[in-house]
Amino acid sequence: MFTFKRQMFGFMDLLRFKKMIPKRRKALEEGSSKPLAKSYRVNETAHVLHPGYQKAKLVAIREETSDTKTFTFETERPLYFRAGQYVTLSCNVGGSFVSRPYAISSAPAAALDNRVNITVKKCGFFSGYLCDEAKEGDVFTLGDPSGDFCYDGVRDSKTVVGVAGGSGITPFYSLAQAIADGSEDCSLVLFYGARTEKDLAFKTELDALAGEKIKVVYVLSDEVCAGYEHGFVSAELIKKYVSDDFTLMACGPEAMYRFLDGEAEKLALPRRRFRKEANCVGVRDVKPADCSITVHIGFETYTVKADVRETVLTALERAGLRVPSKCRAGGCGFCHSRLVSGEFSIAGEDKRRLADAKFGYFHPCCSYPDADMEIEVPKMK
Amino acid sequence: MKQYDAVVIGAGNGGLTAAIRLAQGGAKVLLVEKHNLPGGFATSFRRGRFEFEASLHELNDFGTPDNAGDVRVLFDELGVTDKIEWFPIPDAYRVISQAEKIDATMPFGVDAFVEKMERYVPGSRKSVRRFFDLAEEVRLAQAYSNSVGGKTDPKYMVEHYGNFVRCGSYSVNEVLRALHMPKRAREILGAYWCYLGAHLDDMSFAHYASMVNRYILRGAMSPKSRSHEISLAMVERIRELGGDVLMNTAAVSILTGDDGVRGVVLDDGTEIATRHVVANCSPHVVYGQLIENVPERIVRATNARKFSGRGFTMFLGLDKSADELGIENHNYFLYDTMDSVAQYDKMRTIEENSVQATVCLNRAQPDCSPEGTCMMYFTTLYMEDDWARIKPQAYFKAKEFVANRMIDRFEKDTGAKIRDHIEEISVATPMTYARYCGHPQGVIYGYESQYWDGLMPRLQMMGEDYKNGIRGLRFASGWSMRLSGYSSAYFAGDIAGRQTVGDIKREG
Repeated sequence: MFTFKRQMFGFMDLLRFKKMIPKRRKALEEGSSKPLAKSYRVNETAHVLHPGYQKAKLVAIREETSDTKTFTFETERPLYFRAGQYVTLSCNVGGSFVSRPYAISSAPAAALDNRVNITVKKCGFFSGYLCDEAKEGDVFTLGDPSGDFCYDGVRDSKTVVGVAGGSGITPFYSLAQAIADGSEDCSLVLFYGARTEKDLAFKTELDALAGEKIKVVYVLSDEVCAGYEHGFVSAELIKKYVSDDFTLMACGPEAMYRFLDGEAEKLALPRRRFRKEANCVGVRDVKPADCSITVHIGFETYTVKADVRETVLTALERAGLRVPSKCRAGGCGFCHSRLVSGEFSIAGEDKRRLADAKFGYFHPCCSYPDADMEIEVPKMK
Repeated sequence: MKQYDAVVIGAGNGGLTAAIRLAQGGAKVLLVEKHNLPGGFATSFRRGRFEFEASLHELNDFGTPDNAGDVRVLFDELGVTDKIEWFPIPDAYRVISQAEKIDATMPFGVDAFVEKMERYVPGSRKSVRRFFDLAEEVRLAQAYSNSVGGKTDPKYMVEHYGNFVRCGSYSVNEVLRALHMPKRAREILGAYWCYLGAHLDDMSFAHYASMVNRYILRGAMSPKSRSHEISLAMVERIRELGGDVLMNTAAVSILTGDDGVRGVVLDDGTEIATRHVVANCSPHVVYGQLIENVPERIVRATNARKFSGRGFTMFLGLDKSADELGIENHNYFLYDTMDSVAQYDKMRTIEENSVQATVCLNRAQPDCSPEGTCMMYFTTLYMEDDWARIKPQAYFKAKEFVANRMIDRFEKDTGAKIRDHIEEISVATPMTYARYCGHPQGVIYGYESQYWDGLMPRLQMMGEDYKNGIRGLRFASGWSMRLSGYSSAYFAGDIAGRQTVGDIKREG
């Protein structure tokens, strides 16, 4: 082994080593006495981009079509999002804690002024409550803007072909507004499918936004009407309006996705050029049966009844437990919970992280109980 | 009221390790984490058919069962090694600076590294060999220091680790020059610097040498299911040992009195009685936001520290294999200049910074993504708070600006073609890191390894720092005595956890 020395004989090097402590001690003593910051700019911006759960007051309700309404909320804090994202809206309905993700239909810029719109078609339990019973002044809980159903300038073609089925128009209406006000830099050819002309929401607004960067093609399935395309959004119809490279973004019911899968194949679209927004997991088609779920949340333990046809998340919410959820489609991982014992089945594809399966974690939003379960769920923060 | 012997705030690498150590030491421990997943930076996320690693490029100093590195020894002691499946990283790194005509691919293994360097830089062999000799002594001296809890005997140190003591007060550049290492060899050997976030005039030699040695000596490993696997394994271990773990639970204040820590208040108002806290977060947050009436001495000591780099990472899922795209290596460092001081200076602003550490995971773990695809991570650091001036409205465009530049640079420097094959993209900025880990300004490397605040004085002053702080409060993270990085944070948790076990015995 050689002898390291930087200065003559290495003696000064030793001395220098000894001085490190007094030097650091002095530097610490000489730090500023000004109070430590309570917050930091980057963290504050992060809090606008990801505001967490907050109270939101319903301030306006507007009827778009006979079964579709737009609800305007005033939030406690400003927030910002990317057009195409959803928020989770929740409240207590008859002793149950209910939450659902809805795509934001207003422009990102409006959220900075504490205004968020969602547009809801009456078709289920919570949408029914919203459309029939919610009134101005009611206070809800609003979650973080979430989801990846957004245009990405690095990944996507400059031309977005949007296919909207029914209330699937909402993210595209937000995107169209964002393109118009310059916050998104792409062009949009929007195929908006509905049964009849009367079922088209935002038609006046979309027509007003149409121009160089936004084109809207209305496609009616149950009606033949001048100025409208008829039928479904097919490969042929897309080719009629778009010739260059494009990214296909679709939001609508599962039946529409199944049809579009075939059309995308005809268009020879690579996987990276076709994006679908996930739909909420519903009930499963099995014989009804009851089971029981023991739930640990924080330091508390509860036992709730569950129906094997419904997801674990639904069982918890039915029992009035406030638990975290976002996408309700198994993908976002926000409801990440631990299985202590029991068995469950996952709806569709397993979207968990690899290690989750290994260590017994699961997503209650897309998992059905197969028998009694004991689980640990993080509290809703 | 709930009562615990110790509460660990934050389930990052340091907090998880500390909680295991506490439970092993017989303490009744509660671990709280404000995020819904454990791990802090050690986590993963899914996009489409890809599962991306959030932060880990490779875990150094792990080794094999027959040739165990310090991290494996620690994981064995914690009882988590066998809960995790590991795969080896093939090469150390490839460093490219087109402007300065450097393109070097360095292997693991000290002999192989020295010989490869001699090929790139004839005449470098002796000095590079001596670097590793010194580095090994640094490692051994650290192991000794750890074994005595930082209370080293100066005479023993000089007798057994004389070279270490003589080089221990200098910066990397000072020592490498004293070893008469040729300039080009210094540059290639210095390529890891951006992993630690301080330039080589500032960074303590002991810190850098320790890390390089840990990489090159025993190679690097990674967990098969990303670092999320390590984090979940550690949580499972804490539970096996009887500890309690709560996710989605933030500590909003640490209650103190004349006799130091007396409790912790959680975000739902629950008050926990405890006399010991291990904080897996920054002293800036703990003293600025969690504790009232912090003594001036602590405010001064906290203000004296300097924030290290603010993180930025782009994650790409590509729809072709690494072979098809021409991505040859696992780990790249792409620099404008090999002069780390000049390069550091260019990393202050969004406009100017184009440094990147880039990884293609499939080059180490071919089946980490579906056949015919691959995954890449591109990371950089900002040395000042340029992201603080980005308003929410400008945020997505700022992300896109940096993402595009990273792709362009990678294609230009390596000849690979990736732009037309992006199936998934996700971009984490300082805002993302601020959100998930709560660190001020999105800092990911704790306090910078400044000349006066390097590894050695931090380790030597552990006892003094604790005495000058608040009784019952210790820190375990990249912000504490071992500085940043995965293995450093695990070691910090190990030290703080064991020390707290001792505190409980001594202080009650």
